[in-house]
Amino acid sequence: MGKCIAQRWTVSLEIDCRLRRDKFSLDACFAVAAGSVLAITGTNGSGKTSTLDMIAGLLACSEGKISLSSKVFDDSTTNQFVQPELRGVSTVFQGGGLFSHLTVEKNILFGRGSMFRSTPRFDATIEQFNLNGLLKRKPSTLSGGQRQRVALARAFLAPSEILLLDEPTSSLDAISRDEVRRAMKTFFETYNGVVILVSHDDAEISALATAVINIKLASGMTTAYQLGHNL
Amino acid sequence: MKRGLSTPGGLPIVALPAIVIVILPVVAVMWRTNWSSFFSSITSDSSRTALNLSLQTSLAATFMALIFGTPLAWLLANREFKFKSLIRALCVLPMVLPPVVGGVALLYAFGRRGLIGAVLDEWFGIQLAFTETAAVLAQFFIAAPFFIVVMEAAFGQVDQRVVGTARTFGAGPWRTFVTITLGLVRPSLIAALVLTWARALGEFGATIAFAGNTPGRTQTVPLAVYSQLESGDDSALALSMLMMIVCVVALVALRGTWVSALRRGGQ
Repeated sequence: MGKCIAQRWTVSLEIDCRLRRDKFSLDACFAVAAGSVLAITGTNGSGKTSTLDMIAGLLACSEGKISLSSKVFDDSTTNQFVQPELRGVSTVFQGGGLFSHLTVEKNILFGRGSMFRSTPRFDATIEQFNLNGLLKRKPSTLSGGQRQRVALARAFLAPSEILLLDEPTSSLDAISRDEVRRAMKTFFETYNGVVILVSHDDAEISALATAVINIKLASGMTTAYQLGHNL
Repeated sequence: MKRGLSTPGGLPIVALPAIVIVILPVVAVMWRTNWSSFFSSITSDSSRTALNLSLQTSLAATFMALIFGTPLAWLLANREFKFKSLIRALCVLPMVLPPVVGGVALLYAFGRRGLIGAVLDEWFGIQLAFTETAAVLAQFFIAAPFFIVVMEAAFGQVDQRVVGTARTFGAGPWRTFVTITLGLVRPSLIAALVLTWARALGEFGATIAFAGNTPGRTQTVPLAVYSQLESGDDSALALSMLMMIVCVVALVALRGTWVSALRRGGQ
């Protein structure tokens, strides 16, 4: 256990786990320090989203361990599994994962974000993502770029120790993509948790990430990867 | 000759009989209803008793479908378990079964000498058959499948990634189910409830077999219409007309949402 994790930081997310499905097998082994941004690239179906799901707690590892510092999230040997709502992970999944029956405001203030109702921090987030005037609208009335900004605002507002972003700019046009990237860059500068960013965009990775790993589909069904280079 | 893409010619003519057969009876009832005595007919003692009973039993059956059908529909949509396809098929069976056969089946299950009915009678002295409760059970048996089918489709349409997102932001499984999953399926839920209620209101065959036709106890509106027709009572038409109005109002109130709910399972 932990053979592939070369370096340890005081606060870090450590993943050393395997996921086995009928026709799919994933070996994930890497560590990310708090305050850094790890980009994950790789072909479709290589297991990028499954990796995020295991960190978020939406999937259990078939075997292995996931921990954040001394907190164990998932451990097949001790049969531990922490439910997603107790992990302190904020997410922006593909498509944004917005609640289509709730207004923009209620989406952003859902769950852990609700503690910032009518606070300066809420106002600042709305300002940062240029969401003034959209708060009472339903997601279905927004453009793709607006929806993505809502999803990011929600993930940035809610207190978290880990932030998972699954292709957050892939559905945006060039102009709103730059806008959203600037907002992410500003946020990452002060964020002291772990960020994992799934992206296919080299420009985005070089602008935002501090480390990169590339998932390859190796030996047919198995995907194995390791941390390419530490900081 | 019209400019533009041609479509199969003559289809409207072939479709005409379908329209006539469905619409003509509605018009006929409207035509034969004695409108001057309409109000007094539907407020007569026997009609009022039947209307009251129908309202109570159909609402009770719909409520039962909501409470017991929602978890079942969710399980069918989201979980894999043994005999799932068999359970699903049995749940839908009452939709295609002749209702009177359903009533007989209910009698063999809950009747005084039935599978469970015998136990209920011997141990607790409870007799279900030919009571108001039997009328509710008969309506539930016939109408609940509509609720389950619509809701299974609706739950199946819910994006599990959105549900997962709610979990990561701090909502537990129950809170997520109530605020996110049920919130997302709300249009379908309302449509399913109205559809189920309308079907329960119109139930005849299973009720007459399992609950009987006792005025004031088990004689719901459809049974009252039947009895009044038998005895040549004109208020049968008035009650028929009333049922028709109620159903049309229910469908108009939904403004086609139930059609799209059936098609797409909501959202």
